[in-house]
Amino acid sequence: MGYNEYMAARETLGLIGQPVITYIFIISLFLGILSIIYLIKRENKYFDYLLKCLYVSTGLYLAGFLILAWFHMQIYNTVLIEYPAQMRQMIPVESDRFIIPLWIENEKLYFWAMCASVFALTVKRRKDIMSFLGVILSIFSVIVYFWSNPFNDPLPIVHSEIMSWFAALPRSDMTIFQVAGTLYGRITYYYNSTYMWTHPPLLFIAYASLVITFAACVFMLIKKEKIYDEIAYKYSKIGYLLLTTGMLIGYPWAIEAWKDSAWWWDPKISGSIMMWVLYSAYLHSRIYVSQDKMWKTTAYLGIICFASLIFTYLLTYIVPGIHSVVQP
Amino acid sequence: MKPKNYDYYLIIITTLILFGIGAVSLYGITYYNYLAVNADWTKTAQYTRYIDEMNSYIYPFLVLLLISLGLCIPKRLFEQDMMIKTSAFILGITVILTIYSGLETGLGFILLAITAVQAIVLILTIIKSRIIRFEKEGYVVRLGSSLLHFGVVILIFNFVNFQDSPYHLLIFWSGMVLITSGNIFSFYPEKVSSLFPRE
Repeated sequence: MGYNEYMAARETLGLIGQPVITYIFIISLFLGILSIIYLIKRENKYFDYLLKCLYVSTGLYLAGFLILAWFHMQIYNTVLIEYPAQMRQMIPVESDRFIIPLWIENEKLYFWAMCASVFALTVKRRKDIMSFLGVILSIFSVIVYFWSNPFNDPLPIVHSEIMSWFAALPRSDMTIFQVAGTLYGRITYYYNSTYMWTHPPLLFIAYASLVITFAACVFMLIKKEKIYDEIAYKYSKIGYLLLTTGMLIGYPWAIEAWKDSAWWWDPKISGSIMMWVLYSAYLHSRIYVSQDKMWKTTAYLGIICFASLIFTYLLTYIVPGIHSVVQP
Repeated sequence: MKPKNYDYYLIIITTLILFGIGAVSLYGITYYNYLAVNADWTKTAQYTRYIDEMNSYIYPFLVLLLISLGLCIPKRLFEQDMMIKTSAFILGITVILTIYSGLETGLGFILLAITAVQAIVLILTIIKSRIIRFEKEGYVVRLGSSLLHFGVVILIFNFVNFQDSPYHLLIFWSGMVLITSGNIFSFYPEKVSSLFPRE
């Protein structure tokens, strides 16, 4: 097992996964169009079609996720970091293999979209919210297909790290120490960390739940019916619980992994605090939602909260910082 | 429609304070982006100044949040008149301490006072004491609310006064358990109740 097997797995992922994501993209386009038509015409036949599209696209998302899981297992099986003996004496090596989470790099938006699709199926009895979600999910799928496609150039950063390892292996100079040292940090404090396997997925599942809250809050403004507030609240409870737990789990991780780095008041952390306090504000205002003006205030807050969620997600790509992929 | 009462206005004030913390965070993002002209700026004294500046902006809002939590919690112990007097007394000492000994000492005092009150509330809630008054009905909801508020105060106290303590992480995990269980108890009281046999 080694380089050839890893490259073969990577190629297979593209061969199997690319058609899956293409079908997701095409079906999601139909989903979006049918959702808009239903929202305009309110004819049940369109809703039946859009529901079928959502079932198929969610099934495909889940199938694609299984394919990604298979690829991650292949990385585990094929890439072995053989730390030099002297290095093993100096650092406490816990693992010499990559256990790559399924929510990093170009897989994270896919994971979020998949979770949102699953959540959307749980509100299928509310046709108006469901169809609005159909539009949102189709936008998600378009973004995933063109800008965050996990089957097109899979895990580019992980790939470059693995390639640097395979490039260093045949060399007899100090390069192998440098590469192994870098990979030790990445494997121990990032990929294989328990925090990495809990902090991001909790947040992404929370985000998926809060998409429903956003949709329900939009309908709170359109129609003053109690059911929309109840749906918004139901999903905000799930989202808030996971968001709070997920964010808090990030704190000891930051202390452990970034003890020598500048992470406090990093833009992503500031954004997360902003998002959390806004959702806290939403839950507070919601207590008196039946009071005059509070209905609209709560609905607007729910929408502002979602805007802050999107903004916080995008901060990784637009503002430099320790969480970011952009640098000054 | 429910009549507007003291609790309603307290909720509005709390919402506004939370919005204020959000605004400070947004400012922090913008300011960080403005300062980050080169990749190594966090290794300079400018980063330390940025952290101090951000902390100084967030502390007043934390004090306000703690006061609103403080007003929220003692109402369960005292009548409204007594509660306002108690809160004013705590706030007065906080202001005096802040002026003479600095913001962290003032914040430490108010945190200590409110942690003590929250702990008493939690104990009284657990033993189902009749001297405690709640807006919400149901033992599990009340317990959840008490756990949640206690957890939030513990976490803020920990961040402000125990950053360098060897018990920092232990206190953090305790606060996290309180907040998470408080959220679960508050959001899903029926499901939590169904897990325990009725007397």
